[in-house]
Amino acid sequence: MNTHLLVAPFDHALRTKRERLREAASRGKKVLGYFCTYTPVEILHAGGFLPVRIWGGRGPVEKAYSLVPNFICPYMKRSLENALNNEYDFLSGLVQGYTCDVACGLVNIWKGNIPMIISHSVPLPYNDTLQSREFLRSVLGELMERLSKIGGSFPDGALGASWDLYTQIRRALSDLSRRRSQGRLDLDAADFVTVVQAGFVTEPEAYLTMLKELVSSPDPGCGVSPREGIPVLVSGSVVEDANVLALIGKHGLLVVADDLCTGLRSFTPASGMGESPLERLVDRTMKRFPCPSRSHPRERIPLVKGLVADSGARGVIFLFQKFCTPHLADHPMVSQALRDDGIPSISIEMDEDGLLDAQVATRLETFSGMLEAADGS
Amino acid sequence: MEAERKSTKRLSTARDLAGVVAEYYLECHRAKAEGKPVGWMPPMNGAIEIFYAMDLQPVFPENWSPVCAAFGLTPAHFEVSEGMGYSRDLCGYLRNIVGYLYGDMHGQGVPLGGLPEPDLILSFGGGCIPAMKIFQVLEERFPLARIFRADGPQVAVEDIRDHHVAYAVSEMHRLIGFLEEATGRTMDYGRLREVVELSDRACELWDEIMSYRKFVPTPISASEIGIMFVMVTRQGTPIAVDFLTRVRDEVKQRAADGLGVIADEKVRLFWDNIPLWYNMGLFNSFEKMGGVVVAETYSAAWSLRLDTSDPIEALARKSLMSYSLVSCLSIERRKEMVLKSCRDFSIDGAVFHQNKSCAPITLGQADIRKALAEELGIPSITIDADHMDQRNFSLAQFQTRADAFMEMLLLKKRF
Repeated sequence: MNTHLLVAPFDHALRTKRERLREAASRGKKVLGYFCTYTPVEILHAGGFLPVRIWGGRGPVEKAYSLVPNFICPYMKRSLENALNNEYDFLSGLVQGYTCDVACGLVNIWKGNIPMIISHSVPLPYNDTLQSREFLRSVLGELMERLSKIGGSFPDGALGASWDLYTQIRRALSDLSRRRSQGRLDLDAADFVTVVQAGFVTEPEAYLTMLKELVSSPDPGCGVSPREGIPVLVSGSVVEDANVLALIGKHGLLVVADDLCTGLRSFTPASGMGESPLERLVDRTMKRFPCPSRSHPRERIPLVKGLVADSGARGVIFLFQKFCTPHLADHPMVSQALRDDGIPSISIEMDEDGLLDAQVATRLETFSGMLEAADGS
Repeated sequence: MEAERKSTKRLSTARDLAGVVAEYYLECHRAKAEGKPVGWMPPMNGAIEIFYAMDLQPVFPENWSPVCAAFGLTPAHFEVSEGMGYSRDLCGYLRNIVGYLYGDMHGQGVPLGGLPEPDLILSFGGGCIPAMKIFQVLEERFPLARIFRADGPQVAVEDIRDHHVAYAVSEMHRLIGFLEEATGRTMDYGRLREVVELSDRACELWDEIMSYRKFVPTPISASEIGIMFVMVTRQGTPIAVDFLTRVRDEVKQRAADGLGVIADEKVRLFWDNIPLWYNMGLFNSFEKMGGVVVAETYSAAWSLRLDTSDPIEALARKSLMSYSLVSCLSIERRKEMVLKSCRDFSIDGAVFHQNKSCAPITLGQADIRKALAEELGIPSITIDADHMDQRNFSLAQFQTRADAFMEMLLLKKRF
């Protein structure tokens, strides 16, 4: 649980998300859900919609099994379970930037089973070429057309304003991440995940105000004592439960950096190049710190190694959603590349109840001991 | 409980398939020996026609996996890939090909001589994630091969618009440019048109063969579905057209003669998802009670006619549509296809293979089952299995459920 004063507003935003979003919907705001951060939220926002990342959360899966098999990731199972339990009764629809097979399938399963006025999957290109950029502009234009049909409007300057807003948010998060990694901000990994996730479910204008207050908090040297533990990096997909990161901290490990889609990948890079907001959006999409679902491990490996080097991490903890094909498929190659550089790693799978089994604590303890021994040698 | 692993084939042409398969792999090795560039690529797209038009040799590692399953090689391959850290939760095609590549690829006992090493690799984004990841592993395994990274964004068939086609067309041109540069060969567009015409003719024959399954009793069942090998590996060649013509002639004659795959066809079944390649005999297991698997989802991927007036656009459209037609990219379209198929083929019951190795095809099955029951009153069962990994399949459990299902269907039809 986050009790830290700085994080309290974000923690509160997460706890009250449903009430706030229902209230926004009751005011006539159309709320659109998405699963992956490859979704062009700026376009949804510019059209007058409120983009919200769907949460899964911990808990049982019962009703969802009438529609999906058990061998898909817990995040997708839980989100469907929530939808079938009317947890997202504030949603007008679903817009998803295409990432993995399961997210794609779930968009269509939601479409057939959850009342919505729009369900749209944005087919993103994989290569960065002149033609693929042209194609991306076209599919974003198509999305704007579809949004216009459900009441969206894109007045002059709207996309520019939304782009600037989200860019400021991403810059603030990048700044926080960097300062945290350098030990200049008193936020642990669990706190940071809470801060990032609050942004997925909060109006961006309000969220930016919250972030500005946090960013303006003083650097240590002003009384913040450095945190202790062996520095590690966590890498994986969706980590919603801050307790998972807190558990790592309890075993003598200090998460100094991340490669998570609920973390650094969601705001890196902060901006893009181009003469228009649409061009900048296209450029940023092409240059994103990539998810395994959209990239070759050879592209990710140097980036992950860079994070390890910059943060001073001594090891990597892979936190996987069980059955997450993109991450599991890349893992042998990525972990081997780390090993080749003398960077040890472990992998831990999470199910819908959180960490997969009770052995995790023992494994973390062993990993911590191994890193400690390596430090001493 | 022991069951026949191989399916029983009633068509003489289907029994000829072994020779067609052997000849294809022989040709692949001959090409390598003669210095013809060999390219590894995913199936179900327009690259195969471009390869044949440029006299290059296409090889399909995904298709190699069913061959491995049929020869019982997969357990050894899984041991290798899982030893490398590939999770058991990953698709069996991926784990099998990795195990093969890093295991007995050059072993003495590999059937059909195995696969010749690639000079070219068509790696890609698009299709399903495991297929994309297979090609990323290939890039590592064969560092000397020239790599083309194709881009095929995923879009539902009913949502395909001009900009999707335009981008797919630009990718076709980019591929041709790459192949011309990498191999020193020049694309002959007249030859490409001929190849696309052959490919379209194969699709036409495929549709015609499938149409004879409407006859009661059906002259061809899922047990013979291995004939799709030519659609995977030989599209755009006279070999596919000749083979399918012979199959068509035989099926047509059997239909005219009222000759079914079993003597007393009582129940007509639909199969959803990929077959269990290590146990194709499963299709015959319904037959002891008068059941025949008459139609299946997977064969729809090859039911795509090509507009030969514009070969490049035809191949671009094929590349956009093939995966979409059989996956969760469009559950709505798949549902329509299954319902139509069940109407057209007079289906009594459906078997849904909940396939641990293929989430993209498994997702949406529940919606399709519901529609079948509500709109057509067709009952169905789900079986838990895996198209590659027999550790995820219990034959005894299957048999119990299949028998109970058949009893229910027979009762419903008052047999």
